[in-house]
Amino acid sequence: MRHIPRALTALALATTLLAASACGGDSGGPGGSSDAGGKVTLRFTWWGSDTRTKLTQQVIDAYQKDHPNVTIKGEFGEWSGYWDKLATTVAANDAPDIIQMDEKYLREYADRGALLDLKKAQGLDTGKFEPDTLGAGEFDGGLYGLNAGINSFAVVVNPAAFKTAGVAIPDDTTWTWDDFSRIAAEITTKTGGKITGTGALGTNEAGLNLWARQNGESLWTKDGKLGVSPEKTTDFFKYVLKLRDAKAIPSAEAISQDMNASLDQSAFATGKLAMSFIWSNQLVAFSKATGQQLKLLRIPSADGKAADNGSYYKGSMFWSISSRSKHQKEAAEFVNYLANNTAAGDVLLAERGVPPNTEVRASVTPKLQPADAASAKFIQDIGKDLGDPSPAPPVGGGQVEKIIQRYTTEVLFGRQAPDAAAKAFLDEVNGELK
Amino acid sequence: MSALGELGSLRGKKTAGQKKDNLAGYLFLAPWLLGLFLITIGPMLASLYLSFTDYNLIQAPKWIGLENFTRMLSDERLHNSLRVTFTYVFVSVPLQLAIALLLAVVLDRGVRGMAFYRSVFYLPSLLGSSVAIAILWRQVFGTTGLLNQVLDVFGIEGKGWISDPSTALGTLVVLNVWTFGSPMVIFLAGLRQIPTMYYEAASVDGAGVLRRFFSITLPLLTPIIFFNLVLQIIHAFQSFTQAFVVSGGSGGPSDSTMFFTLYLYDRGFGNFDMGYASAMAWFLLVIIGIFTAANFLLSKYWVFYDD
Amino acid sequence: MTTETLRTTVAARRTGVVTWARVRPLVIHVVLAASALVMLYPVIWMVVSSLRPGNEIFRDPGILVKDLRIDNYRVGWNALTEPFTRYLLNSALVVLGSIVGNLVSCSMAAYAFARLEFTAKKFWFAIMLLSIMLPIHVVIVPQYILFSNLGWINTVLPLVVPKLLATDAFFVFLMVQFIRGIPRELDEAARIDGCGKASIFLRIILPLMVPALATTTIFTFIWTWNDFFSQLIYLTDPHMYTVPVALRGFVDSTSSSSWGSMFAMSVVSLVPVFLAFLLGQRFLIKGIATTGIK
Repeated sequence: MRHIPRALTALALATTLLAASACGGDSGGPGGSSDAGGKVTLRFTWWGSDTRTKLTQQVIDAYQKDHPNVTIKGEFGEWSGYWDKLATTVAANDAPDIIQMDEKYLREYADRGALLDLKKAQGLDTGKFEPDTLGAGEFDGGLYGLNAGINSFAVVVNPAAFKTAGVAIPDDTTWTWDDFSRIAAEITTKTGGKITGTGALGTNEAGLNLWARQNGESLWTKDGKLGVSPEKTTDFFKYVLKLRDAKAIPSAEAISQDMNASLDQSAFATGKLAMSFIWSNQLVAFSKATGQQLKLLRIPSADGKAADNGSYYKGSMFWSISSRSKHQKEAAEFVNYLANNTAAGDVLLAERGVPPNTEVRASVTPKLQPADAASAKFIQDIGKDLGDPSPAPPVGGGQVEKIIQRYTTEVLFGRQAPDAAAKAFLDEVNGELK
Repeated sequence: MSALGELGSLRGKKTAGQKKDNLAGYLFLAPWLLGLFLITIGPMLASLYLSFTDYNLIQAPKWIGLENFTRMLSDERLHNSLRVTFTYVFVSVPLQLAIALLLAVVLDRGVRGMAFYRSVFYLPSLLGSSVAIAILWRQVFGTTGLLNQVLDVFGIEGKGWISDPSTALGTLVVLNVWTFGSPMVIFLAGLRQIPTMYYEAASVDGAGVLRRFFSITLPLLTPIIFFNLVLQIIHAFQSFTQAFVVSGGSGGPSDSTMFFTLYLYDRGFGNFDMGYASAMAWFLLVIIGIFTAANFLLSKYWVFYDD
Repeated sequence: MTTETLRTTVAARRTGVVTWARVRPLVIHVVLAASALVMLYPVIWMVVSSLRPGNEIFRDPGILVKDLRIDNYRVGWNALTEPFTRYLLNSALVVLGSIVGNLVSCSMAAYAFARLEFTAKKFWFAIMLLSIMLPIHVVIVPQYILFSNLGWINTVLPLVVPKLLATDAFFVFLMVQFIRGIPRELDEAARIDGCGKASIFLRIILPLMVPALATTTIFTFIWTWNDFFSQLIYLTDPHMYTVPVALRGFVDSTSSSSWGSMFAMSVVSLVPVFLAFLLGQRFLIKGIATTGIK
């Protein structure tokens, strides 16, 4: 009787050791498989709603038809579960071959060796990409994420709301932050509070990044450190308070509630705001939700000149390849297809953002629905006024959006003064960087 | 015999007529033992090991000794999450159990349409961890939600219940109480198991409703109450899904709904800090263990077993 | 109605006076009905929303809407890569396996803990409680690695096999408490009649713990049906997706989502769970009518 428990203990320990050894080593976790006939199976994972899934599946089917020896298994889901699953599969050395990646996690995975340097990948050509678009995925001399769709931080306006308030839509090439605050406050007053001028700044770290860039700084530096000063961060929070006091933005509670709302449930989408800060590729979703034709405007600048507003092309998402993939060449070829093939582009259109490949973009643009066409035009228009590409968040920097949301909440509720909040915010972010 | 007394008698003293039968015991226990060793113990020990390491999920774990545990001492957000969790446990569990017990007793008395009401009260528990819950909760407690609309009728100005740091946790307490269906069903099962002959005898003796409740129902139900208490406390300490879904994973606003397990998850999967998260998990286990042990020790004073 | 209520109601009717005893059943009903409405409001809202066009749901929230239609159900059923039936069947498979597993293995373990004596029983009981107390998020990664090494990823094995091995210690504990409520005299009587431990288990204990078994079945059904995280991690092939994973396929926090379809399919997936509860309730009702000592 006594022997049996011992044997089982030994078995458990053996299993654990086996498991632990799998963490660091390379012991046969299936990334994709191939058999003797040269057939290759790739695993491709992405997040997105059912619309994106349908389109992506179409592209996969087309590719499989052209390449009968390749089978691609799509693994899809929604945003939050996606990252848990990715982390778990990578931990088990079981990562998919092709991974749709986000800027927040790009360096977390790349700096730890989980992603392939695409510059070294055979079969991948980035020659036709617009030059400014590769920067976001490049660091330490390598390219770890290929821009899958361009977007940029922008102000979205609901023209119908402006009309109701009797306020003219401003000229976005000359407006300043003071103008922004004034116009938003005007809308709130003229509609008796039924429509508030704008959503708050400070619910997304991109706002702080742009503020920093307009003042000669940057949220992140190329060598992976925080690049914004306490003074400028304090100014940023002070401006948020100014918006609150001018009644340009909704109450602290309404803003706090919106931070975690899904896009469709947010205040702008439900017609309660006249303006808001969004990513340009979200125009379609917001148009659908509001049922209105919306307009994108450039971010206000500090000095009234659009060229100084610090805008940059961001990758709304990236294509990455697992460094432990057993079929790096085939994976790279598929990514090449996704990024450079016009037929694929015509299916995916601008659902993930504006195609960075100029040829694909040219082919796609006339086929776009009005809202997508508007955001594509916006991207085109701001092209000549861009600042330098903005570095991707370093390891430990991916959570900065959540952190700034917390501090903006504290500032808005009056629980922390701007300078104290700025210092605490920077300290916390620094504490997370590795 | 009390729970503690029972456990005490296990120390080798043989109760009359109860000899040890290791073969039968272990045979019946075999599936559980197998599961324990093959599936549970390995990962449990692995997580214990990980709590002494710096593990980012992508690269191999690095031994760092007690550093994770000392870090917990100075982690302000961790202390906050403990405050949030303790408040949640000690407010929502008694409330939830009281309502569950009350309704179970009411429903058990043979109200007409009992099956219907039972199902209706259980329905919220079915939705408890679904994606829809976040939306629904916002619809009720949001700035323009149902609660504020109702308050408006009475001329009271509502606020943003889920977005104000001082009331957000309250909405989660309400959510836990709303899903009282599970303990209620268990109470119902327990009530059903009380032999009706006791009630009949008491009726004959002329005992009224309240008398019957306090002298028969309550004492005989104590093993089930104990069970529900222990498990709802454990469950509340481990509460994750509701806070995650309602706050969108942020523990907000301002960390006011950052439950301990939510913070643990955020550290482990969000910050790739699985070593620290494992340390936190074992710390939570110790806390829960202490409360559970306290529950068992105190149970001898109020739990009545028929065997 | 209970004997007492009947008695008092009859008495009240005789005299024609409105006594508390007469009004009480009505009051109880009103209170219950009101509470039911409050409890159900979110659910009603969801059902109503599922009958409206997707992008109107948030623009115009409220439950008193005209113009209801079932488009969302039609569209949502086929919106994902497979018809929703597939996900329902997958979930059913996992749930069935889990229920059988839990019923068999947990009752055996519970019987051992509650009725049998053996070495180190207290120790194993403590370990069992310990396993309930560890948060799942830290064991998930080592467990995943374990199953990955066994080659069980993308099968239902990691979801069902643990149930066959009583890893849901919650139910072991639940059943232990129920068994301890069964008088030992019944066991003794059976033993005197010549029954062995296994016979006592099958003939005496199991039938008398039907409420506990029913509770286990209902809860296993519901928790497994709604279990998102494990099913997300272990089922990689969309063919194998279960209902909770599929439901999230409608929603994306960063772009537009198909809320209409999501609510519609959520309502659809509520139906089996609710039915399971309705049917399982009947077994909760069965209690001990007599002492059983004959």
